[in-house]
Amino acid sequence: MVFDFFSGLGLATVLLIFLGILTWLATLEQTEFGLQATLHKYFSIDKFYLVPEINGKVVPIILPSGYWVCALLLVNLILGGIARMRKGWKNIGVLIAHFSMVFLLIAGGVADYYTERGSMALSKGQSSEVAEDYFEYVVEVAEIKDGQPQQIHFIPGKDLTDLDDGKSRIFRLPDLPFDIEIAGYLENGGPVSEMERAPDQNQLTVDGYWLMSRPSEKKAELNTAACYARVLYRDKSKSPQPFILAGASFYPFTIKVDDRTFTFDMHKRYWVVPFQVKLDEFAATFHPGTRKASKFVSDVTRIENGTEAKVKIEMNEPMRYEGLTFYQASYGPQGAGPNDPLYSVLEVVRNPSDQWPKYCLYMAAFGLFVHFITKLVIFLMGSTRKNRHV
Amino acid sequence: MSKNPSKTGRWVAAMIAVIGLCAVFYNVVMATLPKGEIAEVKGYKPWPKETVKVAETIVVQDGGRTKPLAAYAGFKMLGLYGSRSMKIKDENGNVYKISPTEWVMDALFRPEFAIQEPTFRVDNAEVLQAIGLTTKGKRDRYSYTELEPGRDKLIELAKSYETLDAKKRDPVKTQTVDLAYNINNYQMLLGYLGFAQTGILLPDVSGKGGPGKVAFLSNVMMAAPEISKQLSRYNSTGDPVPEHIQSLLQQVTDAANFSNYGLFILPPSDPKNDTWRSAGNEIMNVMTGKSENPKQAIEDIAVLEDTVQAYGTSEKNFRNKLTEMRDRFDARAKSRGDYGKVNLEVSYYRHNWFLYAMIYFLLGTLSTLVMWSFGNRDRNKILSPGTVASWVTLGFTVTGLIYCSIAIVQRCLIMGRPPVGNLYDTVIFIAASSVGFSLIIELMTRRRFALGFAPIFGTLLIVLARRYEVGDATDHMDPLVAVLNSNYWLTIHVITITLGYSAGLLSAFLSCGYLLLRGLRLVGDDKSLFRAFTRTVYGCLCLTLFLSLVGTILGGIWANDSWGRFWGWDPKENGALLIVLWCLVILHARLGGYIREWGLHFCSVFTACIVGFSWWHVNFLGEGLHSYGFTSNTNTIYVFYAAMVSFVVFGVIVMAIEKQEKMNASALKKSSPVGSDELIDAEG
Repeated sequence: MVFDFFSGLGLATVLLIFLGILTWLATLEQTEFGLQATLHKYFSIDKFYLVPEINGKVVPIILPSGYWVCALLLVNLILGGIARMRKGWKNIGVLIAHFSMVFLLIAGGVADYYTERGSMALSKGQSSEVAEDYFEYVVEVAEIKDGQPQQIHFIPGKDLTDLDDGKSRIFRLPDLPFDIEIAGYLENGGPVSEMERAPDQNQLTVDGYWLMSRPSEKKAELNTAACYARVLYRDKSKSPQPFILAGASFYPFTIKVDDRTFTFDMHKRYWVVPFQVKLDEFAATFHPGTRKASKFVSDVTRIENGTEAKVKIEMNEPMRYEGLTFYQASYGPQGAGPNDPLYSVLEVVRNPSDQWPKYCLYMAAFGLFVHFITKLVIFLMGSTRKNRHV
Repeated sequence: MSKNPSKTGRWVAAMIAVIGLCAVFYNVVMATLPKGEIAEVKGYKPWPKETVKVAETIVVQDGGRTKPLAAYAGFKMLGLYGSRSMKIKDENGNVYKISPTEWVMDALFRPEFAIQEPTFRVDNAEVLQAIGLTTKGKRDRYSYTELEPGRDKLIELAKSYETLDAKKRDPVKTQTVDLAYNINNYQMLLGYLGFAQTGILLPDVSGKGGPGKVAFLSNVMMAAPEISKQLSRYNSTGDPVPEHIQSLLQQVTDAANFSNYGLFILPPSDPKNDTWRSAGNEIMNVMTGKSENPKQAIEDIAVLEDTVQAYGTSEKNFRNKLTEMRDRFDARAKSRGDYGKVNLEVSYYRHNWFLYAMIYFLLGTLSTLVMWSFGNRDRNKILSPGTVASWVTLGFTVTGLIYCSIAIVQRCLIMGRPPVGNLYDTVIFIAASSVGFSLIIELMTRRRFALGFAPIFGTLLIVLARRYEVGDATDHMDPLVAVLNSNYWLTIHVITITLGYSAGLLSAFLSCGYLLLRGLRLVGDDKSLFRAFTRTVYGCLCLTLFLSLVGTILGGIWANDSWGRFWGWDPKENGALLIVLWCLVILHARLGGYIREWGLHFCSVFTACIVGFSWWHVNFLGEGLHSYGFTSNTNTIYVFYAAMVSFVVFGVIVMAIEKQEKMNASALKKSSPVGSDELIDAEG
């Protein structure tokens, strides 16, 4: 009975209808709340249901969350679309198509879970092997020796993002003379001087500044995170020192313990790519007499172990190498004049399932084609009698 | 259900057909006719045809590419006037039709006529009442002269409205801003050759107190280095610049400003520089010493002056000078490789392919109605009226399709890219492909319903294309933005998705036909015909699924190469996914027995709403990365949704009625087994 239900056409139909309704509502909500926020509401693993909100008005219905609908659909596809289906020449096309859809859903899950996305801004002649993550903020603690940061410790974003609403967490740093405690994490916000504006919700003030929360940006990459922190010295005679960490701040927070200098900073996570990329030339061309973009091309050199390779990265033609893909994402500075030097911004993506949709497509197209052409031929062969016209 | 067709049903169907045709005629014909009286232009003389032919092929750079003046003029006129053909009369009552090129030529060479022509379409008289002008109807067209008294107030109002957020402006405010821009743009054309008409007045410096001499601007430009030297001398000594030089420079600057925009017809001599210049650009470049080829620039201006001066002389002389001017700039354009396909484009607009396609489709619609009303009468005769009508329909439809196809191919050649790159392209492509699909379906089913729908569909879609073109008034052959700059993807993804829209609309349309057929009892109880319809719709839905699924995944693969992710829940992507999901829902529901014949048709009609959302509505949302389709007219789409839903409602009612009748009939059978036959016959 259970198997019948989970493998049934009825469940398939209902799930597809739900997916359609969710897609439609997410499209409408996106225009108001931005993509990331809508995605998080409609399609995250930790939500089981949602209530849509259109044009600012809450629509009083409960819908299942997209993630779980897809998960259930995957089960239904495997049990009903593949396992339960009759295997034979009549159904081979549909079986292939179903299999490709299973593959596509799995590819989606892999992409969702394992994708890393960052940006790399390069001026002409500059080279880099570091990408800056689009969304994740980390806290970096380092000791400065001879002017260089050493002993760098990172607190990853996942250990920070749940520290809102009074929660705090102590991070042990055994090889440093202190631990650090973090609280009051804001997804988007920054320090405000209390002279300029007083705290409106009794927020803690440190050195004349408090953290003001701001609504999440529509483009989530523009969010700047912030949090309160305290240095918990091993030397119990020293009282814990509070300070503010903000992604928007320009300078790290510095303390001195016995002659040693330590810095604390909050910035987007850096990840290293296994080769260097150097920008030789970037060109942004526009259609003559207009501001419509015609082409954005970055000529880069890829340097790995001393060998160099020249690659052209442009819109619609990314560089794929060693599991990473480099895209021409944008450029700057904003409002540059015709002769100002430009820097190119490349997007760096690591996605294990990058090429899988292509294979899914070939399979699905082949399967559907076989299936429908078979039906068409049967139809044509059967309707040779003369019939009444309209 | 009775075996014979219902008479009432046929009358209703006939009425619907007549209403539909009237709506199409209204849309097509009334939109182009001027409202109210034909405007009078005193002393108007039409341009000689030969001269117009020369002017049409003058090359202009606009919108990012080079194009013939005919194309530029066409869209300018469409944007300001709302049609590509203007009717005026002279003081003797002779009526003339002005083409876009002639309209631009009037603005450039004969501004005294141009300002009387009713160029400006105003859709809401309140706009004009607000600036103190007397108005004609609620919607009418006004000449520059009629609007001039209110122009300053208009600009003032427009500046204040522009500061408001675009979403908060009501239609009157938006139209006020638009009108101000339109008048400004038109002024740039009117004043463009002003420098050649008035020249530069050199004030008399001889002290004798006579009137000054009028010099050509090109001559003044030749003296530019000398003037510069004099100016720097005055600057270094600190003496004030003498008045006659100041007046000279002021006139030159004014002339250059008037010709600064309007028309970019001067190709630069340096092939690496891809931006063409206007007369004003060249004048300022030479006067400020920045021109890279002052001799050529001065000659260019002199040629323009000669042409303008030749206007007052004989027609032949003017035409020759115009030809010289055109050939001079054309030659430079050709040597830079900028010439493109100017002659082909001129020919494309002259042939007006889509107008004729629409006419043929309309004729096909008429003969379809004839074909359907004859039905199967005398079908055993070789030349039964139905058969004749069907051949006539086929002829008209195929002709219309050929016209569409030629137009689309010519556009591809002119643009140098695959046929579909913006919203307008999709409309004409869907028109051609749905007519094509319908004819193929007719070949497979031979029931004359697909044959009949083909011209109806074609007519409706071409009407949509024409209305969109007027409303949007931008040149849809202009080059595409960077992300679309990929002929490979444009071919495989965009065409597949567009064909998917086409198939989806076709299945919805066929189902509407089925519901009308069955609901209005047009054919009695012809189960075999109904089954043929149903199987055709099913086949169309399968085709829609195939095309939409393949197209959507292809889109994802393209997005992965452009934007770094396969699926971004972008509205356009979501729209395509909705079509795929809906087709899947229909197929699986049918397999599971949840819907049968009626249900299939209801769902198929709803497919039109989903396609409408995906094809048009997502563009109004103004969000996401697919920004190349954005437009702003929202009401039509809601009317369309309502129309489709009303078909479904109609169908549900018909289904309920039929079910009721069946129950009554079987109840009757059960209750009186003996006399039942007579009773049933009496009912039928």
